[in-house]
Amino acid sequence: MPDFNPTQYAVPLFVLAVLAEMIWARLRAPEAYEPKDTLVSLAFGLGSTVAGALLGGFALAVFLAAYEYRVFDFGPQWWAVWWAWPVCFVLDDLKYYWVHRAGHRIRWMWASHVNHHSSQHYNLSTALRQTWTGAFTFGFLFAVPLVLLGFHPAMIAICGGFNLIYQFWIHTEAIKRMPRWFEAVMNTPSHHRVHHATNPRYLDRNYAGVFIVWDKLFGTFEPEVDDEPIRYGIVKQLGSFNLLWAVFHEWIGMIADMWRAPWRHKLSYLLREPGWSHDGSRETSDMIRARWRARTGQAPLSTAMSVADRNRIADAGEAA
Amino acid sequence: MLLQTAGSLVAILALAGLAWWMKLGGTPQLADEEDVRRIAAEVDDGFVPLASATDREGRAALARDAQGRIMLIKRHGNRFAGRLLGPGARARADAGTLEVDCGEARFGRVVLALGDAQAWAEAIDRLDEVRHA
Repeated sequence: MPDFNPTQYAVPLFVLAVLAEMIWARLRAPEAYEPKDTLVSLAFGLGSTVAGALLGGFALAVFLAAYEYRVFDFGPQWWAVWWAWPVCFVLDDLKYYWVHRAGHRIRWMWASHVNHHSSQHYNLSTALRQTWTGAFTFGFLFAVPLVLLGFHPAMIAICGGFNLIYQFWIHTEAIKRMPRWFEAVMNTPSHHRVHHATNPRYLDRNYAGVFIVWDKLFGTFEPEVDDEPIRYGIVKQLGSFNLLWAVFHEWIGMIADMWRAPWRHKLSYLLREPGWSHDGSRETSDMIRARWRARTGQAPLSTAMSVADRNRIADAGEAA
Repeated sequence: MLLQTAGSLVAILALAGLAWWMKLGGTPQLADEEDVRRIAAEVDDGFVPLASATDREGRAALARDAQGRIMLIKRHGNRFAGRLLGPGARARADAGTLEVDCGEARFGRVVLALGDAQAWAEAIDRLDEVRHA
């Protein structure tokens, strides 16, 4: 069985790439970085690897137990079945799409994933702003179907590692657009800037990891509009560089909401989308977008795209 | 594992130090009402200030809309962050400065150098009266 962790080998590359982007920022866009924000993001990255090493054992045990019930058997030398690797990679990316979508639409999952979105900056250091608390969610269960299909947990972990490495480079403002064919199929800096934006039109869009086709297939794709400045972060920006607050703030908020809520609403604060409240005092991303659309008369760009492309009537000029 | 973690920690501190040494970031200022209007709309989509007051150094601002809601904006790193003030907000005016506590410890107290600090302090305190009316 191969003992190989691709992200481990990629760390020096990450450091060099952040350094290169800092030099680009110094020359072209000094505001792209903020030293305190960078420190918090990188500390998130380090803490995430430590938390993964300490808390990842339970998920591994579940996977190994599930593997005993696999439908297909690639044999004792499963790593030598070459075609299983690309199939596993694609299916793992499909799994990533759904676990990521759940990470934004279920508050329990969001409490963990919000860490990755809590910076108001979008640069390569933001890519390393990874959660410490993923083990306290049920995200790992999304991989169980792959294990039951017959993919060994180590194969899934290696594919997942390459998936994460791919996602590193798309966290940048230094690259505007990739070639058209690439933008059509792959996740790119442009597509992922949309994902990190708090502009109402962009909220909860572009969940893809490697292949943007999943968003197009499942109706969550939104293209980047060139003349609308993007704001990054979360709807209610933290306003603090306290690392521990950044790590745990949503867990604290969610548990406090559950504690205070009437009994019949407690589970909803755990399982419904972020921003949901039993008394309507807060707004979900869908509510914010609907209010913005009502105010500005903007149609969803993804559905209006063909018309806009044909006659260039659509005016996307107003900043949200 | 321990050695790797220590190495990563050194790399992190080096990169953050480098960002500081390269003077990345900057200190944006709220220069005028248009800046406040733009940031306020970012904090809460559709928020349109009827009145606003900007700190003399451009570090923070207060804005009030037609519904009587008051928003506190502060500089956070080289970006801005804000809060719509609720009944738990407190304000204290003192010799041309206004200290506003939005009620969230981690957001912190914001001090603004303002000409009309007393009027804004009273407006913020009235948010509490609205709740108890």
